[in-house]
This record gives sequence, C-alpha cells and structure tokens, in this order.
Amino acid sequence: MGFDVAFLWSTFVKLGSAVPMTLGLFAASVSLGALFALGITYCRVSGGLLLSAFGRAYIFVFRGSPLLIQMFLIYYGLGQFPAVRHSLFWPVLRDPFSCAVLALAFCTAGYQAEIMRGGLQAVPAREIEAGRAAGMSGLLLFRRIIAPIAIRQALPAYSTEIILMVKSTALASLVTVWEVTGTAQRLISQTYRTMEVFLVATLIYLLINFIIVRLMSLVEYRLSPHLRERPVTASNGGRQGEVHG
Amino acid sequence: MADAPVPAISVRNIHKSFGQHEVLRGISLDANDGDVISILGASGSGKSTFLRCINLLETPDEGEITVAGETIAMKRNRAGSLMPADRKQVDRIRSELAMVFQSFNLWSHMTVLQNLIEGPVHVLKRPKAECIAEAEALLEKVGLAERRNYYPAHLSGGQQQRAAIARALAMQPKALLFDEPTSALDPELVGEVLKVMRALAEEGRTMLVVTHEMAFARNVSDRVMFLHEGVVEADGAPEDIFTNSDSERFRQFIGNFQA
Amino acid sequence: MSWIDLIGFGEQGRGGILLWATCMTLAVTAASLAVGAVLGAVIAAAKLSASRPARWLGDAYTTIFRGAPELLVIYLVYFGGSQAVTAVGKLLNYEGFLGLPSFLAGAVAVGLISGAYQAEVYRGAYQAVARGEIDAARSIGMGTLLRFRRILAPQILRFSLPGLGNVWQLSLKDSTLISVTGLAELMRTSQIAAGSTKQYFLFFVVGGALYLVLTTLSDRIFNFAERRVARSFRNSLGRR
Repeated sequence: MGFDVAFLWSTFVKLGSAVPMTLGLFAASVSLGALFALGITYCRVSGGLLLSAFGRAYIFVFRGSPLLIQMFLIYYGLGQFPAVRHSLFWPVLRDPFSCAVLALAFCTAGYQAEIMRGGLQAVPAREIEAGRAAGMSGLLLFRRIIAPIAIRQALPAYSTEIILMVKSTALASLVTVWEVTGTAQRLISQTYRTMEVFLVATLIYLLINFIIVRLMSLVEYRLSPHLRERPVTASNGGRQGEVHG
Repeated sequence: MADAPVPAISVRNIHKSFGQHEVLRGISLDANDGDVISILGASGSGKSTFLRCINLLETPDEGEITVAGETIAMKRNRAGSLMPADRKQVDRIRSELAMVFQSFNLWSHMTVLQNLIEGPVHVLKRPKAECIAEAEALLEKVGLAERRNYYPAHLSGGQQQRAAIARALAMQPKALLFDEPTSALDPELVGEVLKVMRALAEEGRTMLVVTHEMAFARNVSDRVMFLHEGVVEADGAPEDIFTNSDSERFRQFIGNFQA
Repeated sequence: MSWIDLIGFGEQGRGGILLWATCMTLAVTAASLAVGAVLGAVIAAAKLSASRPARWLGDAYTTIFRGAPELLVIYLVYFGGSQAVTAVGKLLNYEGFLGLPSFLAGAVAVGLISGAYQAEVYRGAYQAVARGEIDAARSIGMGTLLRFRRILAPQILRFSLPGLGNVWQLSLKDSTLISVTGLAELMRTSQIAAGSTKQYFLFFVVGGALYLVLTTLSDRIFNFAERRVARSFRNSLGRR
C-alpha cells in the first residue's frame, strides 16, 4: 500500500475547511460552559441548602450521563413540545449548531464546576486569613486573593478538560453539524479509504490539541513565577494518570 | 577438618562507577563461617553499594565474587561492561545470601507470614506446610508470633524490620547481608532490632552489616571495616581498631559519634 | 397512551426492550474493557521497555487513541473492518458488501481507546510499586517471571483499580457512540423508541436516567472494591 500523497493532501484540504466549524463549536461551548460552571460553583460553595443541592444534582446528572444523549435530548427532545416551538428560544433550539454548543456547554459545565471547586478548596485558609487581616473582605478578597490562587490550582485539570472538549465536538456531527469528524465520515463513505482519512483527521485533531496545550502551558507559566525558581529535583516517579471521565 | 576453611563469602577487587563517579575503587573482603563483619563509613563512602554488589543487586564493573567456594561467572557485553553470564546461577546464589534492607522492603500486598514463606515456597520450592511451620518458629523468635497475619502497613517500623529479618532467615541462607537495618527507624525502635541481630550473631551466623550503630560494631562484631571514598581505609578487630587505629579519618569518624 | 405505558412492560411498553438494551450496553462495555486490558498491558510494557522503538510505538499509540475523537475511531474500525471483511469475502468468491458485526466493531473500537487509557493506568501502577520490594524479591533469587507473577502483578492490579474505574466510566459513555453502527444498545434503542413514538423527550430522559443508574452503580462497586483492597493494603503510603 503506497502513499497516495495527492489523496492525502486533498483530504487534508477538505477536512481543513471544516476546522473553523470545530473550533467554533469548541470556543463557544467552552466559554459558555465556563460561565455556567461559575454559576454552579457559586451555588455549591456559597448557596443555601437548596442552591447547593441544585449544584450537586446538576453535576451528578451532567457528569453521570453521556453527552450524546444530552445532545439528542436538547436537539430532538425539546423540539417535540409546541410550547418550545412557539417560544422565543426556538430560533436557537431549531439550529443544530447552537443546540450542539448548548449540549457541549451544559456537559462541560458539570466537569468545569468540579474543577473550580477543587481549585477553591485548594486555597490555603491561612492566606485567606492573611487577606482578612489586611482588611479585605467579600468581593475584594475573592478578586485579589482567592480567585488568583484557585485559578492557578485548577489550571492543569482545566487543560485536560479542554482537550477532552476538542474531542467532544465530534458528536455535533450526529446532529448534522459538519465539523471535522462529520466531514471525515462523509469522505470515508464516498472514497472507502478509511485508514487514510482517519489518519489525516486524527492529525488535525492532534495539531489542534498541541496548539491548545502549548497555549495553556504558556498561561500556566506566566501565572506561576513563584514556582519557577524552585530547585529542580530529579524525580521520574509516578506521573499522575490523566484519565478523567 | 584438615582442609583450610572455604570462606563463606570472598570478594576480590570490586570496582563500581555511577556515570563519572567511581563509588567503589577496588574493595576485597573475606568472611569465614560465623564471622560478623561491620562495615562503617560516612554516607557516600560506598558501603551500601558494596553490599549490593555482593549479591549483584548492583553489577560491579570489575571484580570477582565467590560464595561458599562458587565463583559467580561474569562476562563482558558488547559495550565492554561486566554482566552475569548465568542468570540462574545468580538467582541461586542470591537465594543463599539473604538481605535485610534499610527500608524493610516487605511486600506490601502480603501478610507477615506470607512474606516469610514466599521465598521458601516459590524460589526454593519447598513444601508449603513445612515452610509455614518454620516461619512460625522464626516469628516466635523475633517476637512477632501474634502479628503473623498483619500486613506490613499495619506494623511499626521496628516490627517491620524484625519481620524482614525473619523473612531473610526463612531462606536458610549461608550468610546475611544487612544494609543499614536501623537507619530508617525511630530511635526508640532501634533497640528491638539490634537485640534480634545480636542474638543472631551469638548463634554463629555469618553476617555482613553496613551500619551506623557504633555500639553494635564495637561489641558484637568480630571485625570492623571502614570505607572511605570507595576504598578500605581501616580494617581490623574492633578492640584494636576502636582503641588505636592508624587512620586519622577513622578516629575522626568515630569521634563524631562520641561527641 | 400515557407515558407510563410507553416505558412500562405492557404490550405497547418499551420497558423490556430498554432493559435488554441496558444489558447490551453493559456487555459491550465489558467486552471493550477486556480488549483494552490486553492492549493496555502490551502498550504499557512497550512504554516501559528499554527499547527506544518500542517506547516510541507505545507513545504513538496512546497519543493517537487519546487524541482522536472516539467517534472517528469507531468509524475507523467499523468501516475499515467491514472493508477488510468484504475483501476477504471477494477472495472467497462472495460478491457484495459484508459488514463487521456491530458488537465486535463496537467492542474493538472502544477497546482501542480504552487500551490507550489503560496503558497509562498500568504504567502509573507499575511505577507506584516500591522499588525496594522488587530489590527484596531479586535479593532472594526470584527470577524475572516469578517476580512479575508474585510481586509485581498483584500490586499493579491493586494500584490500577481507581484508574480502571475511571476507564470503565469513560467506556460506558463512549459506548453510546457505538449506536452509529446500529448495535441495539441503550443509546440506539432509546433513539428508535423515541423516533417511532415521536416521544423524543421522554425516551431520551429515560435513556439518560438508565445511564445515570449504570454510572452510579459502577461507581459504588468500584469504591467498594477499592475500600476492600485498601483495608489490607498499604494505607500508610508515607512509610516505605
């Protein structure tokens, strides 16, 4: 089996033209999801009993059930009701792209909220105390002391979640959004050259991931000058598994 | 008994480097049956590496090791470094030299009793019932009979080390190698381990002990070897070497302990 | 007909078929876990090996199958596999398209992904085994194979348990994508029930709820297993 460079290149070009769609899904859903996650995290950490129960239930449902069924529920399920079809949300819920973004955002919000909570819990109480001792409270304390520490704590887990989201955008093809995976599937059924198309598509995803990982680690680096001068200890033991569900 | 005694362990001219750093620069040692030899030295003097070379946990770059008259066959690989010629021989000789480690190294997924019978059953392939009976006797001896079904994580450091000594004894070894057996222990637990080791010495076991316990070296061992920067700096009977050694470095070394 | 009847076990109800589909989801996920266990062990060994090409292959495998979208992997196996089967059919003078059985395709596809994650789990577990315990095994003359069987393997399995729980949960969710091959697992069955009754909302909610039951139950089971193991096992990690 020789390499058909011309075919690989034309596949790359065709799939490349779907990259903006994948990136659009990704950017819209991750940022919308972050917004939702902020709200849920607020519910969980400072809400009353009812709000925190809502936060917990949200996280349980959206992390515990598969994304595909959430997406179908929003795209097919909601449209079933005349009330929805006649509401002002219908232009949004009728559109596959916005439905896919909503589903992706709802799902990642559950994961992101857990990451944010983890970040908040990792803020040392003594540093909050020191902030209070300096006369800070409420929003000022959160903005100047708590949030900066929490964000730095949460960044590594956040990077992992973001990479998983790049892959998750592929599901949008199942509600007829023609992003990279959907386009690849169409190419496969037209050409029957499964392996080549798969490899090119995977390469594109790996490139996207690579760039995002680079950007994230740049952010991490910029945000952590206080960790940089630390003496380097040569340890190659127990790298943490990056699996998360 | 007319023959000259074959040394239990005979080591000739061991060299070992890690990268650029030459840790052992030609060390030899003869241990006869029943000898208790303490190996002293500052940290970094190579004493632990030397002990680990004897049962080939580290492969020496140079040198010859003979256990009970049997020399470990070595060959050179393509890169020119020494390696054992016969893995089976190495495994057999290792099973005759039991080792006790600084960090105990009990197998954490096995109970104390399982730790003791693991080697006898699976390496020496002896009947399990017999091994269990012996293991129980050994646990009695080190004072851990009631802890036979405990997991290592549920024991104190001193108990773990006594269990590790019993595990070594269960192999019915020709000699015992101790690699700083009390260094990882809290001070109040050192005594119970030393007591067990002293009892073993009195039984006439052959022991090589890398240690920082001066009292043990002085009162229990037949011979003391002091390593400094990879060579033997002083060597002799404890009563001689501790009272009037020619080595300025050794006098300084023991001075640090007495201070 | 009320919605209770629709999801019930009566003549018109879809309850029975949904339960059957739930079992299918469990079965295909379990099969993928088994496929992934074999692949994962091999890949982990490659990644830990002293040989540079083996390490490179192992890294390439985990990079590809953790980086590619799951759906794409399913297309690869399903279409690629079917093409291969068809080609073999042609050799045997059978003209026409032969499909790869969807259960097999699904289990292999999700297994390929699971294998990449399991490889990382096993590698981490191997590295978590205290080096000193391996030294101790060598020092009493245990050979490589015996050492692996008696000292390494049991500990790797125990250290892998939490990671395997994660992989199982991932695979349960990935298994929904097998629905594109037509396998009547829970996702596909909910979809069909939704389409034929026009009760989309109802059946996707019910399907989602069944997945929640599966993930919650498996979470419980893995937690229980971990506690069982932790009770007898190194619970004071600081002490080595």
